[in-house]
Amino acid sequence: MADVTRKVTQRILNSQKSRKMPVKIAPVQLVLLAAVIVLLIAFPFFPFVNNYWIDVGFFVGIYVLLGLSLNIVLGEVGLFDLGHAAFYAIGAYTTGILYVKLHVPILALLPISAIVAGGFAYLVTSPIIHLRGDYLCIVTIGIGEIVRITALNNPFGLTNGPNGVTGIGNPDLGLFAIRTPTHFYYYIWVIIALVIIGLLNLQKSRVGRAWNFIREDEIAAEANGIDVRSYKLLAFVLGAALAGIAGNIYASKMMVISPDNFTFMESCLLFCIVLLGGLGSIPGNMLGAAAIVIFPEIFRQFASYKLLFFGAALVVMMIFRPGGIWPRRREGVGFRGLGISGLPKDENEFLLKIPKEAVLVPHGADPAQSTTVKAEVAQEKTINNIVLETQNVTMQFGGLVAVNHFDLKIREGKITSLIGPNGAGKTTLFNVITGIYRPTTGKVIFMGKDITGLKPHTIIAKGIARTFQNIRLFPSLTCIENVMSGPHCHAHSGTWSSILRLPVQKKEERKILEIASYRLNQVGLWEYRNELAKNLPYGKQRLLEIARALATSPKLLVLDEPSSGLNDKETEELMEFLKSLITEGFTLLLIEHDMNVVMGISDWVTVMDMGSKIAEGPPSEIYNNPRVIEAYLGKEE
Amino acid sequence: MRIFLEQFLNGLTIGSFYALVALGYSMVYGVMKLINFAHGDLFALGSYLGYTVLVIGAGWITQVLGVWGGVAVALTAAMLGIGIAGLVVERIAYRPVYKAGRLPLVVSALGMSIFISNGIMAIWGPRFQAYPPDAIPSAILSFGDIKITVIKLVTLIVSLGLMALIYWMVEKTLFGAAVRATALDRDTATLMGIDFRKIILFVFFVGPALGAMAGVFAGLNYGRIIFNLGWTYGLKAFTATILGGIGNIPGAMIGGLLLGVMESLFEGFVSGAWKSVFVFLVLIAILIVRPTGLIGEKVAEKV
Repeated sequence: MADVTRKVTQRILNSQKSRKMPVKIAPVQLVLLAAVIVLLIAFPFFPFVNNYWIDVGFFVGIYVLLGLSLNIVLGEVGLFDLGHAAFYAIGAYTTGILYVKLHVPILALLPISAIVAGGFAYLVTSPIIHLRGDYLCIVTIGIGEIVRITALNNPFGLTNGPNGVTGIGNPDLGLFAIRTPTHFYYYIWVIIALVIIGLLNLQKSRVGRAWNFIREDEIAAEANGIDVRSYKLLAFVLGAALAGIAGNIYASKMMVISPDNFTFMESCLLFCIVLLGGLGSIPGNMLGAAAIVIFPEIFRQFASYKLLFFGAALVVMMIFRPGGIWPRRREGVGFRGLGISGLPKDENEFLLKIPKEAVLVPHGADPAQSTTVKAEVAQEKTINNIVLETQNVTMQFGGLVAVNHFDLKIREGKITSLIGPNGAGKTTLFNVITGIYRPTTGKVIFMGKDITGLKPHTIIAKGIARTFQNIRLFPSLTCIENVMSGPHCHAHSGTWSSILRLPVQKKEERKILEIASYRLNQVGLWEYRNELAKNLPYGKQRLLEIARALATSPKLLVLDEPSSGLNDKETEELMEFLKSLITEGFTLLLIEHDMNVVMGISDWVTVMDMGSKIAEGPPSEIYNNPRVIEAYLGKEE
Repeated sequence: MRIFLEQFLNGLTIGSFYALVALGYSMVYGVMKLINFAHGDLFALGSYLGYTVLVIGAGWITQVLGVWGGVAVALTAAMLGIGIAGLVVERIAYRPVYKAGRLPLVVSALGMSIFISNGIMAIWGPRFQAYPPDAIPSAILSFGDIKITVIKLVTLIVSLGLMALIYWMVEKTLFGAAVRATALDRDTATLMGIDFRKIILFVFFVGPALGAMAGVFAGLNYGRIIFNLGWTYGLKAFTATILGGIGNIPGAMIGGLLLGVMESLFEGFVSGAWKSVFVFLVLIAILIVRPTGLIGEKVAEKV
């Protein structure tokens, strides 16, 4: 096996020599970044810039902040949030009310507003976070309207109804108060700079990737160890907290806030900022915000027509640039796009230097070691070493019994195949085992522990990884990013350690990349590492899915029709590969229709028909079993 | 009891507006998986078209055809005009973006919505416009101590009748089967020989036309209209669509009527200022229990 891997690596390295390496950070980009920063700093001093335009600069800042906050929810996680102004309003009203009623200093209210808005988001979104697409969309609209109307109705005399809260003060640093337009301009842009640094770090971390996995395919994300619910909630809380900060700054600048500032239209504008800029793109967001604020300013002389133009411009933009002004680019950026520090320039060098102990394998088996001894050891243990057992599992959908009192035993270090005619209930059983369905009755025991009804992301962390019958990759992410979802479930760094780039987090990120690189290379896709998954041919997508599952370092690998859609040569290679996995210490469960594969590599075959087990045994026995032949071909007359 | 009945009737009336507009949302959503945010504004535009016809024609149409004749002409003109406007919106704002995915479509729809509502403002001005009083049928029927305007009764009967017609078309005819098939799976439906363009024509003509009818009736019932009417009604109608289960024709009707009645009763017995909050809270509560709406089918994604 080790030889095979090495040979493959060598072959790829040879073929790679001619391929061009990913471009280094172009000096042009650095110059551009520097130019933008200088421009932003110097802006108030330009000759034509009066206080009016400095205020425009401030409002661009407010919308950049709001855009960035919605971008977390909508851009990174793909959740339709059309009520984001609610969180902005909560921040602004928290600041306004606490300042006016209790005289809490404005600057102290900055974090408080963030916390209140975030907490509010947690409370209101946790019961509805499971809703899909448009249903979530209307609920967020509803939340936005509820907040606005509540403010309008002046509950307990707190919000002062349609007139709003007045007399809010400016931020005061003690020696220095932020008062003039120029002060406010710098104040907000400094905060934006800090926020952007944090968000960039977060975007290129375990957390940011998890968000993107959810956006690309929620079910695949959950099945690959992402706690979908928690990450969605996290996105809402963080997004709301940022919006709360924007609310605080807005309130302290305007000194008055009213429900009119937080309408549904406002939420729609924020939505447009994120899409105009490009989903998940931070520079795009800034451009989007600038466009939204400056565009109506330019058409100011046309007064009542400015929104007319604006509406038309949105349509035209989406026709000609549906991906946004500055979409986030992923393919061809190379590993430096992953934001992991301390990588060698040459990615092949990185691959060759991966320490073998970095790659977790069940029982600590060393993939580099000779295989025969291991195989024998495994053989001995399997006799009563059962990895997975389903006990009397029944799965009912309405009146349809898809799986009927099914008992299945998977022995360690073996390849078990589950076969049966179409509609026999095989995939349903897989879904029960991997936690996508909760069985109507019965138990699933894994490594001696009851895992019935656990969520998929918990099950995968315990050591069952799967692939899907209809390939479910993360289509718009690169191959390496796809495989990097594997180690996610064993890693720990969270939001703060990612934002602050703590040493622990850096080490963990590197390890995730090492495991992913190793597995990607193992299935022979190393040279495609920086391509988008959706651009791979079908057969390679299947392999990528297997690499992704392997990268979770599972004990048991569950493959749903791995050979479907492969040609003969590819099937042959797949069989060799699957056998090699056994010697590496994995246990395999397959659903397979190709009898050559089933008979060729299985140690044990279980036959399912109409939800029930009709036979099991070694392949040779199954091959001649009359009941099996009957299930497949019908009864002989 | 009298208040209850009156509020109930008011609720049914406004609910039938919601239901008519909701039908348009739901039909378009079913076929294109797009929330047509411009739909509410097409409804408002319909109301303005009807208004213009009545203002211009108040003199002679009403004289020649009588008050009801005028109403019929205004309705027909608005429905035709807005049906065509719906097709135009689809052609310029949605078709070119369709391939780009759902989010750009939403933005395009929002853009169209802003464009139409501000277009209305540019043409008819930002203030309320009053439907000409002499063009509004003013007869009142009384049942005991319950009084109801004839126009309200006609609104209810025509709306419910039209809903029944649409229901019959979509659920019982071959063409309706094609619409439903396209909603379930566009590619397969196309392979089965269903002409997608015809379906698009149908939903983008009939949906907005129904909205326009609701718009004219709203003007006739309440007497005055404003350019951003589409946002308030559109939002409520969209809520109704989701309440019933989006993409589902009977769901849109039931959702609309239910929403109108709930809102009216709450307004009559509890508080007018909080009625929208109440409506959204009910919606959220329903979605927590039934994540795909009242009669939305449970769509289990195949894994």
